[in-house]
Amino acid sequence: MRVTLQVKPRKKPFLPIEAETIVPAHFLDGTDLVVWKGNRELPLSDVFSVTVEGTAETADEVEITMRGDTSRIKRVGEYMEAGRIVIEDDIGMHCGNFMSGGTIEIGGNADGWLAREMRGGSIICRGNAGNYCASGYRGEKRGMTGGTVEVFGNVGDFAAETLAGGCVVIHGSAGDMAGTEMRGGTLRIEGDCTRVCGNMTAGTCYVFGTVHDMLPTFRRRGTAVHDGVTLTAFTGDIANRGKGNLFVRDYKYMD
Amino acid sequence: MVTVEDGRIVAADNACTLGEQKFLGEPRLKGPIQREGKGWKDITYDEAILRTVEMLRDAERPLLFGWSGTHVEAQCIGVHMAEVLRGVIDNTSSVCHGPSILAIQEVGHPGCTLGQVKNRADLVVYWGCNPIEAHPRHLSRYTRYAEGFFLPNDYLDRTVIVADIRKTETGNIADEFVQVTPGGDYAVLSALRAIVRGKRDIIPRSVAGVPREQLFRIADRCLNAKFIAFYFGLGLTMSRGKYKNVRNAIELVSELNRHTKATISAMRGHYNVYGSNEVNTWMTGYPFGIDFARGIAFYNPGETTAIDVLARRECDACLVVASDPAAHFPRACVEHLADIPTVVIDPYPNATTAFADIQIPVAVTGIDAAGTAYRMDGVPIRMRRVLKTDYPSDEEILGRMYAMLQEDHPP
Repeated sequence: MRVTLQVKPRKKPFLPIEAETIVPAHFLDGTDLVVWKGNRELPLSDVFSVTVEGTAETADEVEITMRGDTSRIKRVGEYMEAGRIVIEDDIGMHCGNFMSGGTIEIGGNADGWLAREMRGGSIICRGNAGNYCASGYRGEKRGMTGGTVEVFGNVGDFAAETLAGGCVVIHGSAGDMAGTEMRGGTLRIEGDCTRVCGNMTAGTCYVFGTVHDMLPTFRRRGTAVHDGVTLTAFTGDIANRGKGNLFVRDYKYMD
Repeated sequence: MVTVEDGRIVAADNACTLGEQKFLGEPRLKGPIQREGKGWKDITYDEAILRTVEMLRDAERPLLFGWSGTHVEAQCIGVHMAEVLRGVIDNTSSVCHGPSILAIQEVGHPGCTLGQVKNRADLVVYWGCNPIEAHPRHLSRYTRYAEGFFLPNDYLDRTVIVADIRKTETGNIADEFVQVTPGGDYAVLSALRAIVRGKRDIIPRSVAGVPREQLFRIADRCLNAKFIAFYFGLGLTMSRGKYKNVRNAIELVSELNRHTKATISAMRGHYNVYGSNEVNTWMTGYPFGIDFARGIAFYNPGETTAIDVLARRECDACLVVASDPAAHFPRACVEHLADIPTVVIDPYPNATTAFADIQIPVAVTGIDAAGTAYRMDGVPIRMRRVLKTDYPSDEEILGRMYAMLQEDHPP
């Protein structure tokens, strides 16, 4: 089954739409769904032109395509377990929260908290992602626990904060404090970043660019070759009795 | 002592610079005003309240911001209003010590009241704050110059360490001044944690502008102290890394507690910002930045906080209570405030007045209104009034608005 959601023009385009209902499994029972605009509840058809082609028995067979200005639409794919969502342009905050299966593909940029507390499945973002990509929620000790997130552009600050499992790949650069409080999983940054992995206790992080303002509390362990590139290996964060592994191609301290 | 002549305060003796300014006050608005063309017209309190209620009722995502400069009783009504309206309520801590609260939510708060500090603290650390200018009585009442039960010789018994990016007035009276490169607090705090854990060998020659020898000396002073009081300001909460800086400071204090007694507290700003956090927490479970749009409280600073909501143009009406966002917020936020209907409830005309549609003047808590406020260490204090005026209090104005809103949603 192919579901296409074309965004209709709205009178107040900046008001966020909360659309956690946009999950493949929900479309098995029709399109009589609701979304929220601020404090008002609206039928899905007030915000989108909905077209459905074909039928499906299980959520795996459902593919949702979102078109138009989706940059203010939040929580798409929240708690998604199966199926596929394709977003042609930018997407709002909290896309793929708590997702445990299926695939989300974003053609444009993703706003903050992409794949927050993700448990499984995969997310591909062709553009940039905002702050807290693949992170946890406020005050939580564990963030993402499984699945894969791949961002082809850059990400904002605090990417993969409290990462506890799964794999996060950032092809561009990361902002400040990526991998802070990491306790498991793998973070791979192809570009540059600053102050990576502060307070990490476990897990593995690779940085194939330069780490600026490298934290002084990581102990150098020698070198290692990963994917044909020689990286300096560190263990830390010593400030936190941490035993995480950090591999970086180049690094600069703030002295 | 306050001297009153013709219903106006003309002198406030023994008040600090900030207190004197509060008591003597700027010229206050005489009554509510509404924007008309390029000017203002006077309206009655009844009209102002009705128009504000109409504005809030029509909004799909109203923002209720401010609250830190008023008493607890008014703040309670504010939270009730936000719930009935299904709006977003936020207070000034989201641009101040909000990150401190985020850090406390992650690792807890080994804190104490100011009385403990006064009587016990033989080592005081001020990190990223300048109390001589921002909290003028802090040093004389509780730390450097205060006689304590266990510290009879005030400044001879106490050691003060000040860490900041530049030497401030407070830095001048410190026993040890630590100059940190801007943005380097996190690294310095991490290094101190490693030193306290006995990992001195790992520390490089200098960390963010602080020489290794000085880091060792500070750590030794901390380890040899009987009671450490660590105070931090916006230098930690609003610089790069924000709540992670504060978390690192809290974890340093936790680490020090394996060796001696150490506490940490925030140098709060507005006189009742702590009260606002308390009220929000006991009523909604969250301290600031609460979104009631879906009927339940949702909290996510960075999304539901005033700066983010305004900068992203996500709200369509704004009620500002006892605060001045136009003076402190980024330009994009203020531009949106100018575009949407905005009502200000504040005794004085301020920068936000220029972007508001209506302003309702009220009594000032502690001057002509009584109420409860929380001190920066979390102790609630009853504020009495010193004179009687005809101005209604925030509680009265908001109470009338809330009563009208309740009519829409009978229980």
